[in-house]
Amino acid sequence: MSTFFQLIFSGLETGSIFALATLGIIIIFRTSRATNFAQGVMGMFNAFVATTLLITYSLPAWLAAVIGMLSAFVTGIVIDLLIIRRAKKANIVSKQIITFGIILVLLGVAPMMFGSVPLSFPRFIDTGAIDLMGASLTYNGLLNILMGLGMMGILFYFLQYTKWGLAVRVTASNEQTARLMGVPTSLVTMGAWAIAAALGTLSALMLAPAINVNVAMMENVQVNALIAGVLGGFQTFHGPVIAAYLIALARNLILFYVSDSWGEPLLLMLILLFIVMRPNGLIGKKIVKKV
Amino acid sequence: MNFLKSRYLTYLLIGVVLASLPFLNQMGVIRSATVTTFGFIVFYAIAALGLNVLLGYSGLISLGTAGFMGLAAYLTTHFTGEWHLHFFASLLLSVLIPTVIGIVVGLVSLRLEGMYLAIATLAVAEVSRQIFIEIWSWSSLRPPAVLLLQGLALDRDGMYLFIVGLLVVLMMLTDNFIHSPVGRALLTMRASEAAAQAMGINLFKYKLMAFGIATAYAAISGVLYAHFIRAVDPSPWTLLLSLQILAVIVIGGFRTITGPIFGSFIVFGVPPLILNQLPVIGDIPGLAFIFNGALIIIVILFYPRGLVYMGQDLKKLIKRKEVKSQ
Amino acid sequence: MSQSKKILTIKGLSIAFGGLKAVDDLSFHVNAGEIYGLIGPNGAGKTTAFNCMTQFYKPDAGQVIFNHLQGEDVDLVGKKTHDIIKLGLVRTFQNVELIGDLTLLDNLLIGAHIAYQTGLFANAFKLPKARREEEEMTKKALEILAFLGIETKAYELAAGQPYGVLKKVELGRTLMSNPKLIILDEPAAGLNDTETAELAKLIKEIRETYSCTVLLVEHDMRLVMGICDRICAISFGKKLAEGTPKEIQASKDVQEAYLGKEASSNA
Repeated sequence: MSTFFQLIFSGLETGSIFALATLGIIIIFRTSRATNFAQGVMGMFNAFVATTLLITYSLPAWLAAVIGMLSAFVTGIVIDLLIIRRAKKANIVSKQIITFGIILVLLGVAPMMFGSVPLSFPRFIDTGAIDLMGASLTYNGLLNILMGLGMMGILFYFLQYTKWGLAVRVTASNEQTARLMGVPTSLVTMGAWAIAAALGTLSALMLAPAINVNVAMMENVQVNALIAGVLGGFQTFHGPVIAAYLIALARNLILFYVSDSWGEPLLLMLILLFIVMRPNGLIGKKIVKKV
Repeated sequence: MNFLKSRYLTYLLIGVVLASLPFLNQMGVIRSATVTTFGFIVFYAIAALGLNVLLGYSGLISLGTAGFMGLAAYLTTHFTGEWHLHFFASLLLSVLIPTVIGIVVGLVSLRLEGMYLAIATLAVAEVSRQIFIEIWSWSSLRPPAVLLLQGLALDRDGMYLFIVGLLVVLMMLTDNFIHSPVGRALLTMRASEAAAQAMGINLFKYKLMAFGIATAYAAISGVLYAHFIRAVDPSPWTLLLSLQILAVIVIGGFRTITGPIFGSFIVFGVPPLILNQLPVIGDIPGLAFIFNGALIIIVILFYPRGLVYMGQDLKKLIKRKEVKSQ
Repeated sequence: MSQSKKILTIKGLSIAFGGLKAVDDLSFHVNAGEIYGLIGPNGAGKTTAFNCMTQFYKPDAGQVIFNHLQGEDVDLVGKKTHDIIKLGLVRTFQNVELIGDLTLLDNLLIGAHIAYQTGLFANAFKLPKARREEEEMTKKALEILAFLGIETKAYELAAGQPYGVLKKVELGRTLMSNPKLIILDEPAAGLNDTETAELAKLIKEIRETYSCTVLLVEHDMRLVMGICDRICAISFGKKLAEGTPKEIQASKDVQEAYLGKEASSNA
């Protein structure tokens, strides 16, 4: 049983990483109708910022992470001001393509600014672990799980109970009406990109100690986060988050119990098949197309 | 008919210009590396030509292009190198197999909402990347030179001319079916799914057909890559390559036959031939990515029809100015 | 004109969106050769009923019996949307769904989609079979454009044409499929008085020349009263009255639905 719980714990940790990235994608999708394929590289880029500062000024990991998230916030704002705001009238496919453009730009800028050598980012908590149900859970792992859950708790509270949260939800359901009702939708969209970039950076930094900071570090997260979005349904905020945790847990179990080289392809195919059977996702609502 | 003839003429002209490069090289006007770069431009243009049928005419995005190219490159290396099949037999099989796989993928993923296809193909690309690494245990294989006839093996220049010839043929074939009931059905589907259904156009069938065409062209491109570069390994077939081929279409122009050639020149030709030759900024790593990424965004925002229309639009602008000045 | 033969019979058609009954137990029939009008005030469920007949929506209950090209009665409910036209029933759209990038001629050729036998390969290689087929269809399309009086515009792009022309092209597109029944979704929407009168004449000519039946879903009373043989008036998804234009004009229920209770009692 101890192995099983070990897998569950690391699954929860990976789940937090996927869920943070997914939430960023959903917030952007709901406020600017763009499927953001650049969520991962936005995180990767600012993970480089954090790591470079950490190395240059010998900052503690938590401080570097905070600065990284702040720089991500700025990255999001810049992307919105320079690009997304001007693409308001573009269709959903064009917006998707714009995010592909952002991927290429950031993939080019990152090695230019930070070099092409992978950098290592330390864990937030170096050592120590607790024994739980026969499995050991590192303090750092626990912190990551709690940070993921805490971050999402704060966001859900914000979305559900604050004035700004209401503005986001109104913009998400109907941008035009929201604007007519006096909701500053441009500001909401900008905020969405800023927050999404910060979430992506946090998830990149949580992943960093395991695989080092490099340009390709978020590819797998990006794929899984998007799949979680489809599986959970792009219409809700909580669906994709739940899906992200489920995918991470299933992934860990399949990798261990079935095959560690074929597990990931197998899981992705299973999820695709599931989505085909239930095109509206786990919780999605049925939408009737108007003719 | 005259109109049509003039379109064929354009394709032939493009072919002649491209085909002249090896001779320019022999005369010492251009370097042989330039010819190689144009080889890349041409076979990526073929992949883009097919992807344009999918993206341009049916509005669906596939991120599986590189995966299918890689698969075809692997297959043809195996068929010609290990099984000693004739090149054309190998070409046929190496295109057929990825196309069938593509159609199976399409059968599943095209049932999703259009927006989700990019995500589904991204997942498939990720799956195939991992499978490649599993089965492609060797680091680099060397596909043999193409033997057109017994004793007629193509050297690099010969292979280049062969690729250019194939490009011209594919442009003509594509032009033919685009200007036929098939192309009209695709265009209708893109403009209005409701109108398409009302006219008896089976949306699923045509989406699948467009996806199949995109896959087949990507596979052709992969086969040509293998026999032109004569060294294949699993590393080039990444999401990045798929994105760059997508950039070719966006930059060149949706729903055009010549757009992909033009776009391919900008995406795969301009960085090595021009940008990297520039002083100071030429040495920046990732310069090509920044250039292509920024161009995608700029073109979508400010020139969404694609740069292939630049000449036409400039002419119009000049005419308008002339009229005004008169 | 045989008035006896029913070409389309709607029985107990119902559909609800989230508890709201948009069409509620609607029944009527259209005879072969008729011009039949389905009318009702805004939001009466006309277009929804229309979409249920053409299988763009799947009705919750009811039957749509259609006497197809081979003369047999079939229930359209459950058939695939793109198969409806093959049976001889073709529709137009309220806000004209044409392809702007294509010429008027090409737009008409789309209407003949189901008639084409050749596929991808025959057309890519321009086999003689494909060429011949395209020539035949082009000839037919040019004839129809001439019938509509717009043959001079055959090679002009649809984008930028006046609305009246686009409406004609959409009608022409339906004719390309050799339909038995054409159903028109608010054909007069967006047209001025002259254009509406012209349209009325055209619809009658289409019936005579191409011997098809026409069902029109319409808001514009001038058009409906002028050309329809029989009319079905609906309100809130339910049938109010059915009969000749005169009978409908005289119906108290219809007046109430259109003008409100007070106005009709004053009348």
